[in-house]
Amino acid sequence: MSAVAAQYEALQKLGVEVISVSVDSHFVHKMWNDNELSKMVDGGVPFHMASDQAGHVGRAYGVWDESQGIELRGRFIIDPDGVIQAMEVMTPPVGRKLAETVRQFQAFQHIRATGGKEATPAGWEPGKPTLTPGPDLVGNVWKVWNPSME
Amino acid sequence: MTARVGQKAPDFAAPAYYRGGFTSVKLSDFAGKWVMVCFYPGDFTFV
Repeated sequence: MSAVAAQYEALQKLGVEVISVSVDSHFVHKMWNDNELSKMVDGGVPFHMASDQAGHVGRAYGVWDESQGIELRGRFIIDPDGVIQAMEVMTPPVGRKLAETVRQFQAFQHIRATGGKEATPAGWEPGKPTLTPGPDLVGNVWKVWNPSME
Repeated sequence: MTARVGQKAPDFAAPAYYRGGFTSVKLSDFAGKWVMVCFYPGDFTFV
């Protein structure tokens, strides 16, 4: 979570709100923030740390681990209409790469800004060319994009 | 209701710790904004 907190400014610049969720109580969240996370990130965790002790939220999102009574690593990108645009669920030992989440927010925001007329090819980042799906593009993607541009 | 891409995110309200205080957080209060919801196994875990 400290990695998320460290990227919070980049996420805020994109207008992204963050909610973290675990089965710990909000009291334990405070202890974790005060005693550990605040030593990794200046000012501590700047977003809501939610408590889901009964696992209701985790079940609704498909990340509840019944055998351990915990929530798996799950990351969901939700757009301004409340629609889930992306999700990533991992077993606990491997951590996330937040830069990829930031990139996905940028890509989804670009698509939304163009009214869905454009698509972003693999590895797209702001400033790189997008694709405009249509009859002319069928069979011709190779003319405008190739994996070396990723 | 199960979370799927392209579908509405399940709404939830939960107690939360936020900037030094205790409060509650509700997903639908962030309607009109981009939101990242992150689940993780537990506080004081190592990754």
